[in-house]
Amino acid sequence: MTDVIVRTPLVEVTDLRTWFPIRKGLFSRVVGHVKAVDGVSFTVDAGEVLGVVGESGCGKTTTGRSILRLIEPTSGSVKFDGQELVGLPRRDLQPLRRQMQIVFQDPYSSLNPRMSIGTALTEALTVHGLARGRQATHDRVEELLTLVGLSPSHAARYPHEFSGGQRQRIGVARALAVSPRLIVADEPVSALDVSIQAQIVNLLRDLQRRLHLTYIFVAHDLSVVEHISDRVAVMYLGRIVELAPSRALYRSPMHPYTVALLSAIPIPDPDRRRSRIVLGGDVPSPSNPPAGCRFHPRCYMAQAICRTDDPPLREVAPGHLSACHFAEQAMAMAPGKDGEATGWEETGRLGGTEP
Amino acid sequence: MSDPLLRLDDLKTYFHTDEAVVRAVDGVSYEVHAGETLAVVGESGSGKSVTALSILRLIPQPPGRIEGGRILFKGRDLVTASEAEMRRIRGAEISMIFQEPMTSLNPVFTCGEQIVEAVVLHERVDRRAARRRAIEMLELVGIPSAAQRADAYPHQLSGGMRQRVMIAMALACRPSVLIADEPTTALDVTIQAQILELLKRLQQEIGMAVILITHDLGVVAETADRVAVMYAGQVVEYCDVRSAFARPLHPYTAGLQASLPRLGETRESLRVIPGNVPNPAHFPDGCRFHPRCPVMIAPACLEPQTLRIIDDDHAARCIRADAIAAGTLDPAPPEQERVP
Ligand SMILES: Nc1ncnc2c1ncn2[C@@H]1O[C@H](COP(=O)(O)OP(=O)(O)OP(=O)(O)O)[C@@H](O)[C@H]1O
Ligand SMILES: Nc1ncnc2c1ncn2[C@@H]1O[C@H](COP(=O)(O)OP(=O)(O)OP(=O)(O)O)[C@@H](O)[C@H]1O
Ligand SMILES: [Mg+2]
Ligand SMILES: [Mg+2]
Repeated sequence: MTDVIVRTPLVEVTDLRTWFPIRKGLFSRVVGHVKAVDGVSFTVDAGEVLGVVGESGCGKTTTGRSILRLIEPTSGSVKFDGQELVGLPRRDLQPLRRQMQIVFQDPYSSLNPRMSIGTALTEALTVHGLARGRQATHDRVEELLTLVGLSPSHAARYPHEFSGGQRQRIGVARALAVSPRLIVADEPVSALDVSIQAQIVNLLRDLQRRLHLTYIFVAHDLSVVEHISDRVAVMYLGRIVELAPSRALYRSPMHPYTVALLSAIPIPDPDRRRSRIVLGGDVPSPSNPPAGCRFHPRCYMAQAICRTDDPPLREVAPGHLSACHFAEQAMAMAPGKDGEATGWEETGRLGGTEP
Repeated sequence: MSDPLLRLDDLKTYFHTDEAVVRAVDGVSYEVHAGETLAVVGESGSGKSVTALSILRLIPQPPGRIEGGRILFKGRDLVTASEAEMRRIRGAEISMIFQEPMTSLNPVFTCGEQIVEAVVLHERVDRRAARRRAIEMLELVGIPSAAQRADAYPHQLSGGMRQRVMIAMALACRPSVLIADEPTTALDVTIQAQILELLKRLQQEIGMAVILITHDLGVVAETADRVAVMYAGQVVEYCDVRSAFARPLHPYTAGLQASLPRLGETRESLRVIPGNVPNPAHFPDGCRFHPRCPVMIAPACLEPQTLRIIDDDHAARCIRADAIAAGTLDPAPPEQERVP
């Protein structure tokens, strides 16, 4: 069957690497590299939401920032709407900035402490030539604050006068202000109570539908990611280890790291516990990643081949990519209590509990 | 039961800004015992962090000021304690993991140096021993190649690593009370689980009491003994963790639970608590939740409410809590609430 809907990737990332030099000594000699992003490839279609999850320090933020060239990638290619961004001169990058926005993981350090929120939003509009007269700009600022659940009267306040979650919403408002096509949202709702979080997630979804926005949505809250994403990429130590449609990833994960991750989600019920897969072994260092499969020292199903051969990201089911030699067994082999499987057979998904 | 290690009694902290008085914390009472975890949950902006900062007397003054109430720590009232006394207590007896690591880590010192400073400030150890302790702590919180990473500056670390540096620093002096303000928001769930285990172990070993401020109800369910739910500068529900989940008595708490995205549930949009977040400069009169409450009745709810015991050890600030407890009234918000 031919696909009649022509899906055009808005973002195409190919073999992206971003390394940070480690310097030592008097002459700041480079003694190694933190390989924060080490060979990442994926595409995001226009109007699609790609969720990104993974271990803390695995390179999610660096990937997001490298795509927007807020950090210079070491090598690889990033295409936005067909245009190559890596190596593009700054002045040619500037007009694209408005189309690609970011919500920073650390809202406080991304806000100017000496600028009121109203001024900051006005400035964002002005820089991109979107301020159309005083009154219109004023109205737009108020509209943005209301959209993210703040009150228009907040415009006069300074960043330090807000709570953590309020600042996070200011970051979201600033990204939305300039009507971008792509938003890289780095933990945009982590500091919000579940009701306001739901409100922001609903808002992002609404805007995405109405305006055909595209998101790369980085978060640690796996239920939020499942809810908002069309596809989800799981990263481990600078690489994507699994990439699949959201539903498929949560129902039948095909990489042992994903299986372990899903098993660790805390359940909001004091009387239920999941049997969590504890990852043993030393936490690996991105400056000296293990040979073979990067996950093998902590993997519950590692075999001899895993210590020597680096598994490529391959299609293990339609649209479902995994970088594991034994992807098909990842779930069946998962350890449970007393060596049993973890008990997701009954419901067909993770959620097995022990009393 | 023994005396609580820390007890807040009608604490009030206001900010006097140019336009208005922001009543960020407006009569908060809660307590925590040795070895116990009190989870503080509630709306963004409801005063959770300001309460915590008040305990350590870290409120910027002006514009902030503790206007009333008491903070009893091992019998002493910290509201009236001298600054010298507070310096001895901070970090050593009561320590805090701050909500935003970048605001509290010093960008010009390496992470290792900052932990070393914290240790030598409070303990008679030389720098070499302090550095050993720092690296040991970084290992405990799961930082890979800790000895090397100790020499990294905060901006060279990922969000979650910074958060773990903060945790290491807060735990380095083995405090008797730990205030953890959203300590795991930047961590993936497996590392989060390890950190929560570590806290649990320290609680058992040294009887540390933990005040855990979090939005993650899963974390609450797994770690808390008791729960305080805050709304608009006040505690609106206070009970043991089981009751908080099984039988919330305040409509705000019920609303929170209804908003929770659940794995595997495919719904178009998530439920939210309808209405607008209250402005702390002008809280609604009467029950502060009444404009958003699905079970509000006039005129009763237009009167100020007190936090009162409904049954056993379960307190709520709601006039309708008895009916909710009896099961004759459903406090959950209506389905189909959409964002405008
Ligand atoms: N320096 C300040 N000046 C004026 N208002 C302030 C100041 N600091 C905090 N506030 C206000 O006090 C209220 C309580 O803030 P707090 O930081 O305690 O909220 P929170 O419950 O911790 O919220 P979050 O979950 O978003 O972190 C908020 O409305 C905030 O805007
Ligand atoms: N400016 C920098 N200099 C040196 N190393 C860096 C720098 N920025 C990031 N790193 C390193 O790169 C790796 C990836 O960091 P990154 O911030 O991308 O992780 P992350 O996946 O976003 O983690 P988290 O979930 O904790 O936010 C980490 O080991 C981090 O220490
Ligand atoms: Mg990050
Ligand atoms: Mg806070």
